[in-house]
Amino acid sequence: MGKKNKLGLWIFASALCITALACFAVPMYFIRPFRAQTAQELSLALYVRQVGPILAILCGIASIFVAWRLRCRPATVLCILTLVFAAINQVNVFEIMFHPDLKPGFARAGEAKLDGDDMVLAVKLGNEAHAYPIRMLAYHHIVNDQVGGVAIVGTY
Amino acid sequence: MDGRVLTFRLAGINNQNFLMRDEETGSFWQQISGLAISGPLSGKQLTSIHWDELSFKTYRDENQEGGVLLPVAGYEKQYAGKDWELKMKKAPSVVDTKKTGIAARELMIGVELNGASRAYGYQKIQAAKLIQDRLGGEAIMLVLGLDGVSIRGFLAGLPDEKTVPDFYRKEELGGGLTIDSVTGGEWNFQGCAVSGRLAGKCLAPLRIVKDYWFDWQLYHPQSSVFRR
Repeated sequence: MGKKNKLGLWIFASALCITALACFAVPMYFIRPFRAQTAQELSLALYVRQVGPILAILCGIASIFVAWRLRCRPATVLCILTLVFAAINQVNVFEIMFHPDLKPGFARAGEAKLDGDDMVLAVKLGNEAHAYPIRMLAYHHIVNDQVGGVAIVGTY
Repeated sequence: MDGRVLTFRLAGINNQNFLMRDEETGSFWQQISGLAISGPLSGKQLTSIHWDELSFKTYRDENQEGGVLLPVAGYEKQYAGKDWELKMKKAPSVVDTKKTGIAARELMIGVELNGASRAYGYQKIQAAKLIQDRLGGEAIMLVLGLDGVSIRGFLAGLPDEKTVPDFYRKEELGGGLTIDSVTGGEWNFQGCAVSGRLAGKCLAPLRIVKDYWFDWQLYHPQSSVFRR
C-alpha cells in the first residue's frame, strides 16, 4: 500500500472515530440538565440523536474495514474505540440515570402502602381511576398506562 | 396519535423540562406541551386529559377501588423523599425570572382557558382556600381541599343557571366545602352539589397545572399573574 493511501486511510479511520464520538457527545453536551438550550442547539442535538445511532454503526463497520486494510495495532485500537463509541450511541443515558417503569403494576387504593400526605397525580377515565405517586414519578418521569381503556402517558 | 398507540421513553431535557421519545417513530416530544418538536411526527400534538394533583388521602377517600402505582422493585431507594419539593426549590434554574419579581422556583397553579393564561401562587391559594376570578371570558374558581394541599379548579357557572354565583368557603359544612350565593347549596371538593336544588349536579372541571414559575412562564410567555 502506498504512503499516500496509508495516510488517507489513517485520516479516514480518525474521522470515523471522531464522528462516532460526536454522535454521542454533541446531544449529551447540549441537552444536559441545568444548562439553557437555544432552539438551534436543541434542534441540532435532536437531529444528531436521531441519526447518531445508525451513523455510528456505519462508522464502526467502516472502521473494521479500515483496520483490516492497515493491519497494525494502532489501527486496531482506533477501530475498537470507534466500536465502543458506536455501542455507547445505542444506549439511552437518561434511562440509566432514571430507570424506566416499563411494566407498571397497581395496588388498590385501600391497600396501597402510601402515607396520606404523599402527593399523587390522579387520572379518572370512565369508571377507572389510577394514581401515580409523585415521589415515584419524579424518578421514573414517565409511565405508559391504560386507564378506562384509553392509552395514556403520565409524566412528571 | 392518529389511531396509533405510542410508547414514550425519557430522552433528554430542554431548559429543565424533559423530552420524551416515542418508540414507534423516534419523534421527540416536549413534556409540558405534549408537542412533537423533532422527528417524523414533528408538529403533532398529544391530546391532554384531565388530571388532579391530590394528597393520597383525598384520592383514597374518593377512589377506594382506584389503582395506585406500585414501586418498581429494587428502585425504592431512588425515589424522592418527602422533602423533595423543598429540595427542588433550592435547585438552580436556567431561566431568569428576576424581571417578573417572582422566584424561578415559586410553585404556581397555571390555568389556560380560551386562549388566555394566568398563574396563581400556590401558597396564595393555600392561604385564601378559595379564589374566584375571570379568565378567557369565563368565571373560574380554585379551591383548596380539606387536606390543605390538594387544589382543584372549576368553571364557576352553575349547571342550568344563567347567574354566576359567588362561592363562599364554609369549613363547618356537612359534606361540602363551599356554598353558592344563588341556590345556597353546598358543593364538595369534587365540584358536585351535595345539597340544595342542584344536588347531584357538578361544576365543569378546569384543567390546572402545578408548575414552577420559570417553567410556566417559559412555555406561557403571555401569561398574567394573579396578584390580588
